Amino acid sequence: MAESEEEVDVLVQRVVKDINNAFKRNPNIDEIGLIPCPEVRYNRSPIVLVENKLGVESWCVKFLLPYVHNKLLLYKQRKQWLDREALVDITCTLLLLNPDFTTAWNVRKELLQCGVLNPEKDLYLVKLALSKHPKSPETWIHRRWVLQWLQKECSPSEQELKDHAEPREDAARRQCERLQRALQEEMRVCADAAGRYPSNYNAWSHRIWVLQNMAKGNLKVLHDELSSTRLWVSMHVSDHSGFHYRQHLLKALARELSQVGETELHPTKQPNGESTAGASDDNHHNDVIPQLFHEEMELCTDLIESYPGHETLWCHRRHVFYLWHQWRREHLQGAGSQSPPLTHTDVLLSEEPCDDSSTSQTMDVDCVLDGSKHGSYTQDTKRLKRGPLLPHPALPSEHTFVSKILTGCRSTEQNRFAIAYRKWLDSVIGQ
Amino acid sequence: MCQTGTQVKDVVIKPDAPNTLLLDKHADYIAAYGSKKDDYEYTLSEYLRMSGIYWGLTVMDLMGQLSRMNRRNLQNLEDKVVDYVKGLQQEDGSFAGDKWGEIDTRFSFCAVATLALLGKLDAINMDKAVEFVLSCMNFDGGFGCRPGSESHAGQIYCCTGFLSITGQLHQVNADLLGWWLCERQLPSGGLNGRPEKLPDVCYSWWVLASLKIIGRIHWIDKAKLRNFILACQDEETGGFADRPGDMVDPFHTLFGVAGLSLLGDEQIKPVNPVFCMPEDVLQRIGLQPDLLS
Repeated sequence: MAESEEEVDVLVQRVVKDINNAFKRNPNIDEIGLIPCPEVRYNRSPIVLVENKLGVESWCVKFLLPYVHNKLLLYKQRKQWLDREALVDITCTLLLLNPDFTTAWNVRKELLQCGVLNPEKDLYLVKLALSKHPKSPETWIHRRWVLQWLQKECSPSEQELKDHAEPREDAARRQCERLQRALQEEMRVCADAAGRYPSNYNAWSHRIWVLQNMAKGNLKVLHDELSSTRLWVSMHVSDHSGFHYRQHLLKALARELSQVGETELHPTKQPNGESTAGASDDNHHNDVIPQLFHEEMELCTDLIESYPGHETLWCHRRHVFYLWHQWRREHLQGAGSQSPPLTHTDVLLSEEPCDDSSTSQTMDVDCVLDGSKHGSYTQDTKRLKRGPLLPHPALPSEHTFVSKILTGCRSTEQNRFAIAYRKWLDSVIGQ
Repeated sequence: MCQTGTQVKDVVIKPDAPNTLLLDKHADYIAAYGSKKDDYEYTLSEYLRMSGIYWGLTVMDLMGQLSRMNRRNLQNLEDKVVDYVKGLQQEDGSFAGDKWGEIDTRFSFCAVATLALLGKLDAINMDKAVEFVLSCMNFDGGFGCRPGSESHAGQIYCCTGFLSITGQLHQVNADLLGWWLCERQLPSGGLNGRPEKLPDVCYSWWVLASLKIIGRIHWIDKAKLRNFILACQDEETGGFADRPGDMVDPFHTLFGVAGLSLLGDEQIKPVNPVFCMPEDVLQRIGLQPDLLS
């Protein structure tokens, strides 16, 4: 059935109106999708709203998209005028159908700059678009632009603070709460998208961007993220991006905590309201960092043993061990101005793990740790008499771990990865 | 505790998959591309149009079929292009993709590749540009989109290409990166872009070209890779898909053909691993970026 241009025009206007009405009727729409429905039905609205889900019947899309798309292009080429309201509606419709369409997002950036659009609305539109297209690069890029826009435009200026009656501390506190909420929302959006597509590079790199741009140096956020992603990665053992995020968190925590440890520790308030780790204990950072690495290696061991043959887990092990190895090197050679009193940990740490195994004290300690119990670090802890030992990953214990895996398991892939890990230890670490 | 085998993420190549190169079919596919597309599909892919022109032209040239494509006169935009690219460089040496400011090492590569083709590399702050890209180098020798980002074969291609154009390949740890890259090869012979991802023909380009740039292309099993790429052809329509049995498109067609060229297929023109353009085109303008040996 051939459609006249008038018929298409009427249809499109109706669909755009229906979509907008749906949002007005239900501001809690949290997911959009296509409903497979090839039969053309001019009399019925192709827009379906059920609870918080917005559906578009597929038959209308092939009319809708080219028409609306061409309208926007004509506007950009200055061949046809569209008023602001029309632009908002058209770009919204377009982006719900095809969020890779860069120009449509950029039109919305311009509208935002003019003050026609509310940035929160675009964050919402991005979130919806991601529910259907969790990878879409342009969508993530637009989200970052809006967030940066909000940061620039919405932080109160000195003059604004003077103008308002409320005291500065209240304004700062409200700002801090706003930031907290914004952070939580970003993590939620990232987590949703990560769950919708395996190893979602764009979702996880956005999450890192958020840490770097909205939570810089924020130890609490780093710790919270480490806790909250632990379960997630345990249930997504192939998700290389998820594990990489944890590597990033560890690296950031180690860096921040080390910096804190080297200066005189006075709790300071950061602009975001969070305290630095102004721990009363000078040795705090020296114990926390090894503890973090120890726990991560333990997690990695558990997962490797529970889920044989996952390359991601072995990559994670490489990276975590490397970070630990590097941190240990830096903190042996660095002339620590605030060297804490020697603990048992330090005795172990003071041994170069790369030395030939038979000579270093570390080796002796490790040999005392019964060979058959490697991997169960907590049992080893109890064997040593000099106070609480913090068992740490070391080259010899890693080799023992590999041997254990190789002798125990029959998965060919697991064996392959274990051998590759050993080769990596020898080539990269054991230089 | 013991299990007999985990499902490795990979494809299985069927015995009846294509195993010879169907160049004529691919040329027909590209030559006809776009002319039959209905409004909807054409619209959906509009944002890819410029890239699509590059993919189509390049693959046709590699196959010696450029004459079949329509020519258009391009105005002399050289200075405007240089100014535009220059204006995108940030204080830290990175490049934005456009005026809206997204930073990504892909744009560093696009910037220097563009300027190199125009002979105007001196228009930007080279030291800063290099400094930024190097700050994106990870512990595994790879590169991500921004400092601290996950290593990704596509980004690695962009960064090694960048370092080649800027004469900084000695900063790469070739053995370490080469090892990461050849670990992309799966039992099927195909290459993926990151651990535990499925193989994709376009990674035959991103990974292979990177290996060629850093002088480690012999670390890949070439025969198995060739086998995989050939299996991605569609015998009926022509063109290549991302993996055997999927729908073809010009993007994967280019990178399949380019990958085969890097592997030494004599029916295809030699391709430059940095620019992904025929070598003879670059020779004509005197552009020969460094490669490690």
